[in-house]
Amino acid sequence: MTAGVSEQLAQARLGDKNAMGALVQAHQRSVYSLALRMLGTRDLAEDLTQDVFMQLNGNLNSIESAEHLAFWLRKVTTNRAIDQLRRRARIEFTSLDEAGAMFGTMDGGDPLLQRHLRLLLSQLSPPARAVMLLRYQEDLDPVDIARTLDMPVNTVKSHLKRSLEELRQKEPST
Amino acid sequence: MNEDLESRLRAALRPVAPGEAFSQELIARVTADGVSPARAAGRRRFFAPAGWLSAALAASLLLAIGVQHHLQERHQREQGMEARRQVIEALRVTSQKLHLAYVAIENQSS
Repeated sequence: MTAGVSEQLAQARLGDKNAMGALVQAHQRSVYSLALRMLGTRDLAEDLTQDVFMQLNGNLNSIESAEHLAFWLRKVTTNRAIDQLRRRARIEFTSLDEAGAMFGTMDGGDPLLQRHLRLLLSQLSPPARAVMLLRYQEDLDPVDIARTLDMPVNTVKSHLKRSLEELRQKEPST
Repeated sequence: MNEDLESRLRAALRPVAPGEAFSQELIARVTADGVSPARAAGRRRFFAPAGWLSAALAASLLLAIGVQHHLQERHQREQGMEARRQVIEALRVTSQKLHLAYVAIENQSS
């Protein structure tokens, strides 16, 4: 897979549209999901996803490897989302009917947890929200999250601890 | 307990796919020939030309205000110069009259 992505990267740098299309195809779920869960609405998520890939198109020469590509996409997406959220007075989180698209209820997820999670995400500060998503959506460890967000590892750990505690408190006892 | 919550979080936060139409549009835009970020902004709801138009209107308005201010200032300056000239002229005439009066008094007394 990594070798395939590296080959696609090399081809895309040479102007191969199919290779560029394949790179977008391979990473759009991750970028779109981060954008959607950070910004809270489908429209804003689509705009951000497009902006990120357009930016990638102009920066292909600076991408060194498949791992660097994934890192770069997460970094640009979360940083741009945080910037957008800081410019908005408060997050207008997605409507309930969009929540399914946000958390993939079609996959048979836990609807109660999803409701609490949506509420929690909407209440977290933008950096704390990004930390949660990079940890549980992208499965990054605290060191990689710290690198992605240019944040001390201890700050990442405290964000995670606090967010999990809040979520646990909001969960009804099972 | 913690691990259970974390595994449920991972399940709830699995990446979701964007809509098929958006996905195709995205790939088409990114792979289009010579696409620049400025052109790509075309799909935005907040269409960029409207922003440019507003900026151009605002700039024109500022320019008009600036020019008017400048003209008004020049007019005031010219009015000031004219008033100064008139005062000097009045002083000159008064001084002449006083001189004549002085000469007349001097002549009478001698």
